Amino acid sequence: MSTIAETAHRGQARRRVRIDGWRWGGRIFLLFMLLYTTLPMIWMLITSIKSGFAALQFPPQWWPDQPTLASYQKLLDPQNSVGQDFLRFFWNSLFVSTATTVLSVIVAVPAAYAFSRFTFPGRNFLFFAVLLRNMFPAVIFLVPLFILMRAIGLVNTHGSLILTYLTFGLPLAIWLLKGFYDNIPVQLEQAARIDGATRFQAFVLIVMPLSAPGIIATAIYSFIGAWNEYIYAYTFLSKNDQLTLPVGIQRFFSENTTDFPGLMAASFMMSVPVVVLFLVLQRYFVRALTEGAVKH
Amino acid sequence: MTILTGKAEAPRRLLVRSGVLRKTWDHRADYAYVLPAIAVMLIVIAYPIYYTIELSFFNTPPGLQLRDKIFVGLDNYTAILKSPVFWTVTSNTLIWTIGSTFVSFVLGFASALALHRDFAGRAILRAVLIIPWVISAVAASYIWKWIYHSDVGIIGAVLVSLGLTDRPPNFIDSVSTVLPSLIVVNIWREFPFAMIMMMAGLQTVPDQLLRAAKVDGANAWQRFWHVTFPHVRNVSTVTILLLAVANFNSFIIPWIMTGGGPSNASHIWITHIYELAFGRQRWGVASAYSVLLFLILMSFGYFYVRALSGNERKDGSE
Repeated sequence: MSTIAETAHRGQARRRVRIDGWRWGGRIFLLFMLLYTTLPMIWMLITSIKSGFAALQFPPQWWPDQPTLASYQKLLDPQNSVGQDFLRFFWNSLFVSTATTVLSVIVAVPAAYAFSRFTFPGRNFLFFAVLLRNMFPAVIFLVPLFILMRAIGLVNTHGSLILTYLTFGLPLAIWLLKGFYDNIPVQLEQAARIDGATRFQAFVLIVMPLSAPGIIATAIYSFIGAWNEYIYAYTFLSKNDQLTLPVGIQRFFSENTTDFPGLMAASFMMSVPVVVLFLVLQRYFVRALTEGAVKH
Repeated sequence: MTILTGKAEAPRRLLVRSGVLRKTWDHRADYAYVLPAIAVMLIVIAYPIYYTIELSFFNTPPGLQLRDKIFVGLDNYTAILKSPVFWTVTSNTLIWTIGSTFVSFVLGFASALALHRDFAGRAILRAVLIIPWVISAVAASYIWKWIYHSDVGIIGAVLVSLGLTDRPPNFIDSVSTVLPSLIVVNIWREFPFAMIMMMAGLQTVPDQLLRAAKVDGANAWQRFWHVTFPHVRNVSTVTILLLAVANFNSFIIPWIMTGGGPSNASHIWITHIYELAFGRQRWGVASAYSVLLFLILMSFGYFYVRALSGNERKDGSE
């Protein structure tokens, strides 16, 4: 009797050990991923507080002897020529990204609503055209858009960027928002219609407020996409005072390739706005992104 | 009814008779919602596609003097296939796309599985793991370029201090190591996407089924293979396809980190097209490349749409 109990006990213990094995395997794996993810960013931060001279020592200093915020001061100082350029790039990025976001949302909201609710002819074809757009790289469109922008006089203006950023912002926004509208019960609108609202009123007064989280998520997505966009800005803009951050930083440091602390500080500053936006609103963001792929 | 319908109403009657036109007419108000979107898409997507196809049959002089373009038929296409660079670039693209996609997916899926169970700090860990995907690829390229630096790079320094090598290796300056080194950077940026998608997929796996399988004596691997995996198969397909397309279309990381060098070892299709167009001003050849790229992506797109509609069918039956 006691042997049976003992065996059972031992078996249970063994199973627990095995389950713990999986759990520990998972934790060790996550630790590895955490290091892989964060070490490059930590090294960026450490480099950014070194002096230019300290950054070029070998072997590298794990932690600088004399940490300094000089690189950041230089970037944020409007009296300094480096700071002047950096701040101008920053505002350019902010302007272009905000304008793209606002336009994407204004155009995408009604379109996504129509794709979700109406069954007009051509609906499926149009929606798949929208989906397929996400597959094509900027490079395919670059030559003809460059010619087009030159023809209508938009090369070297932010207008060319805002218009082209809609090529990727809009399809994505429509796709994300449609997922949200699909989840809002039609009955709510029908009730409003019975109470005498027109279809457009029901859309604006009932559906729009309910889809606010989706609109926020879509807006963040457009903003991050535009903020990080490089290839159109790199091709369409040539005047120094118009550049956006990704291109500006490149121009800026190709002249002085040894200023790695400055480059790392600039990379950090460029990442701050999008990371903060993302961290604050990531719940909506992740939900919106995955809604389309794993709908119930 | 027919008696009442006069001659003046004939066009209207024609619309009413034929099904599609009638439906189109009935739904005319719906189009108002999508019209702005369609207008933008026509200008910035349909027109460029048309123009690229046209340009691929022409030779244009440098500087895009379009009045002087010369029709050359399929010459641009045959020139591509005859060029030895084409095969280098194509094999680079395959290694880059398959390597990045496979490892990103495996790491992302494994992270999603490990994060699926609740534990203290899970939300923070998840948010931190996603950050590389959010920051700009330009910033990522500079960070890693600095890490790989052949004189003062941190990885080289660690290898030297461990006594594994005498001097820091030239990760991105050497033909044999450049592509794998760039793939490591790309995976760093891409695996969070797979992780997010697979986390969402894992939430659709019913807990009861997993518990039932456990009661029936299935071990962890069997539970994963027979219960979890079938439930996330569609999400996996979509995720892999989206990753493959994104990797196939990558530009920033190879362009900024190496510009395709050394000796084309890190040139992939996209960077090669860019260089042909804006570097060497061979607009016709670049356009022909773009058309080929377009066709390849259309076939990706076919599978993508099929996988997506597979999802919807499955949902409908549930």
